[in-house]
Amino acid sequence: MATDTAVSNAPQISFEEFCRKTFDPKGEFAKPEALKGIRVLSCTQYILGPSCASYLAELGAEVIKIEAPRRGEAMRHTTPFNEPFLYPLSKHVPERGTGLGFVGANCNEYFVAIDFHRPEGQNLVKKLAAKSDVFVENYRPGTFDRWTLGYRQLSAINPRLIYQWLGGFGGWGPGRVRASYDILGQSQGGNFGMTGKAEFQGGSPAKHTIWLADYWGGMMGAVQILAALYYRDKISGEGTFMEYSQVHGVTRQLEYALPLYGRHGITRERWGTWDTQLCVHGIIKCGKSSYPNSENPQENEEGYILVSAYSDEDFARLCKTIGDGNFATKYAKADDRVKAQAQMEIYPALEKWAADKTKEDVANILDKANINNQPVWNSKEVATNPHWQQRGSVRWIDDPYYGDLLHQGPGYKLSATPPRTKWALKPVGADNEYILGKLAGLSPTDIKRLEDQECI
Amino acid sequence: MSSDKVTPWPAVPIPKPEEVYAGLSDQAKDYPLYLESICRQSHAFEKPEALSRLRVYDTSTRMMIGHWCSSLLAELGAEVIQVEPPGGDPMRKLTPFGRKEYMFTDKESGEAVGAHFLHEMRNKMSITLNLETEEGREIFKKMAVHTDVIIENDPPGHRDSLGIGYRQLKELNPRLIYCWVGQLGQWGPHKDKPGMLDPTAQAACGFCHGTGDPKEFGGTPMRSALWMCDHVGGTQAAMGILTALYYREVVSGEGQFVEATAAEAVIRILDYSWAWYGMDGSIRPRFGNWDLAINIYAVNPCKDGYMMVGGGHDRLWYRIWRVVGDEYPAVEDDILGDPHLREVADRLAMNQQIKTYTMLGEWLKDNSRSEAERKLSKQQVASGGVLYVNEVAEYPHFKYRGHVAETESPHYGKILYGTTPFQQKETPARLKWMGRPTGYDNQDTYRRLLGFTTEDFTRLQKANVI
Repeated sequence: MATDTAVSNAPQISFEEFCRKTFDPKGEFAKPEALKGIRVLSCTQYILGPSCASYLAELGAEVIKIEAPRRGEAMRHTTPFNEPFLYPLSKHVPERGTGLGFVGANCNEYFVAIDFHRPEGQNLVKKLAAKSDVFVENYRPGTFDRWTLGYRQLSAINPRLIYQWLGGFGGWGPGRVRASYDILGQSQGGNFGMTGKAEFQGGSPAKHTIWLADYWGGMMGAVQILAALYYRDKISGEGTFMEYSQVHGVTRQLEYALPLYGRHGITRERWGTWDTQLCVHGIIKCGKSSYPNSENPQENEEGYILVSAYSDEDFARLCKTIGDGNFATKYAKADDRVKAQAQMEIYPALEKWAADKTKEDVANILDKANINNQPVWNSKEVATNPHWQQRGSVRWIDDPYYGDLLHQGPGYKLSATPPRTKWALKPVGADNEYILGKLAGLSPTDIKRLEDQECI
Repeated sequence: MSSDKVTPWPAVPIPKPEEVYAGLSDQAKDYPLYLESICRQSHAFEKPEALSRLRVYDTSTRMMIGHWCSSLLAELGAEVIQVEPPGGDPMRKLTPFGRKEYMFTDKESGEAVGAHFLHEMRNKMSITLNLETEEGREIFKKMAVHTDVIIENDPPGHRDSLGIGYRQLKELNPRLIYCWVGQLGQWGPHKDKPGMLDPTAQAACGFCHGTGDPKEFGGTPMRSALWMCDHVGGTQAAMGILTALYYREVVSGEGQFVEATAAEAVIRILDYSWAWYGMDGSIRPRFGNWDLAINIYAVNPCKDGYMMVGGGHDRLWYRIWRVVGDEYPAVEDDILGDPHLREVADRLAMNQQIKTYTMLGEWLKDNSRSEAERKLSKQQVASGGVLYVNEVAEYPHFKYRGHVAETESPHYGKILYGTTPFQQKETPARLKWMGRPTGYDNQDTYRRLLGFTTEDFTRLQKANVI
């Protein structure tokens, strides 16, 4: 686009400078939005459904989040150790706040409250759906169908509607009635059982700390929606129904585990912080803390660092760096190094070498030897890192309701139509008047009445 | 490779519809049977593909992020051509613990490929092209005119310095969508260095530090067993590409430059870490298989493995304790009678989580995964055991829905794999084939796109260009 072309026509600038200008997070608002004019109804709760819609909101879609009147959806009442909250929850409940569990899954959206159980509420949803492009929901399968708000009913009103259901196990098959949450998806899909320290390392299966099956599942749903939008607007003119099962998604990402099991009957097991296919390519402990005087246990514990020297040349340099001639010859070949027994010798030796060093000490030494490494950064180290700040990956936003808020940026960059963060969230029902007036023809008197009845 | 000793999959037959829906009223069957009729993957080949007009060159190597991205596009119907250096992407050679016997061998050429690479070569063609030669680059420029998307992951600026980066190729093809993928980025103080791979991103985004048990429980930071950030980053890359495609087709007529990194994709989904730090300086701690923000919502040891039980709000909380209380009367006083466990919010304190899970653990140690699930499911509590791969492959629900399936490859024989979760009514995703030997599609592709002759092939092969 215009900015883009202007930059590229200046051949004297370096590639890095070109990228810096092209993807500058400060320039996001000077560029158009890809999904401008696309309207999405998000009848969602928790993370899987909400995050799916919020990825579209980052791209400029008008996303209308519909949740229960007054208290909103469950995720608003979820926050670490029940401490941090953003006030108010809604204009009707000013003494309570929204928990931080809600942040990141609902940015840039308009917030409307509707009680799906009441016929009057259902009629409002139908009016909105008639004017929408995408409908996202993650209630138990069949619930919206029962409420006369399912694909069968809404597609009759609006054949162009793209209906995305997301959930745990899917709406058909023997397990269709099972409820699901993120860690159930992780547990039963297979990635949980292979993550964590191995038996001999004293470990057990470990969950991914993020609600991975939810947040990433929502992203997979958004991929599917974008493909469907393209197909509708370019080819067919018609909407569709899509089903995303998060446990299915997890099983999709098991790498070599299923082919290996199918051919050889071997079950992929846990291998801790090392790698089953490359060596050296694992995380080791550095004996010294980077912040020994901190009172925060997240800081004063020992440091950890990924050491990556899996090619023969890099490994030879690593051996030289740590002063180990024995390994240099014994494990000169990648195929020998990657064997389980070899890994069980090599990593402890590296930890022994790092026992009197901080992770920064190790990083400096390895950098000088031109060996790839990456300290394990905690959330403070990430949030304050100039690399992520310059790239806008973590950024302060001036939120219209909640003031200065540290927030994640979009997970990827586009030169012409960059995704962006406008606001983090709003109170329950904050946009009742704007959205229901604009799309359902409700007058201020109607809105007042319905709010008093807790229908909206 | 002989597999005589291995039980063929499925070891237990896949359930039949009449078994699955046995005993249900017509009304109860109506919705699931409707969904099944519109979503089942076995109907996929009766329907069109969403991205059948899209051509993609995946020129990324050694790393999963690009391959994952192009896999998703290929499942949705794009024509994805994997462009590999002569001899193949080095990732083809990766195999767990270096074991060659775990690789899959092409029946015709005898070329072996690792299962990881093979699993993500679905629906893709393979051609070879040496971009480090002048002639290879000239060929690549001619090819760039014929494509919609190029994906690459070379070290930052490398393609640009070779004259085949975004800046040069978009002059030749203004409709081109050009996507760079990597770990940390192609610009900025910590931009990618050659050879960086996942879990670099896992360590650099805060994920590892927050995963695993707390130090007090003998824990350390933990990585995902998978190249997980590559999967999330590759998914964001696919989003970027599809967004650019939509904008090109519906609005601008022009392509754009996409950058997706494994680390930023996961920073995006590290939920409340950033807002929490911004509010009061809190650093997200490791909390093992429990949750900082929900109680009960955890995985704990049980009689035959590990068991997930979830239900933090009152409705499910009391149902869980009803189940446990049937076998452990102490629940009545210790849990239900505890005034500090009555409010949802109060249950989150560290000592209350320890108390809760100690009691739950007492019950779990006498219950297997299936027993616990059976009892809790009766009360509609979300619960289930941690499954290992052999159990995932044989899980009746997954087999019935086809989450796991077996395909027969003309090159590699039977392959068990995880199917696409993109299930839908009009343009369902699908598997057409699983993997190709290196350069298998050279003849077809170069003749079709560039009009190569037999003479060209002979000369370029000799010069190590293809």
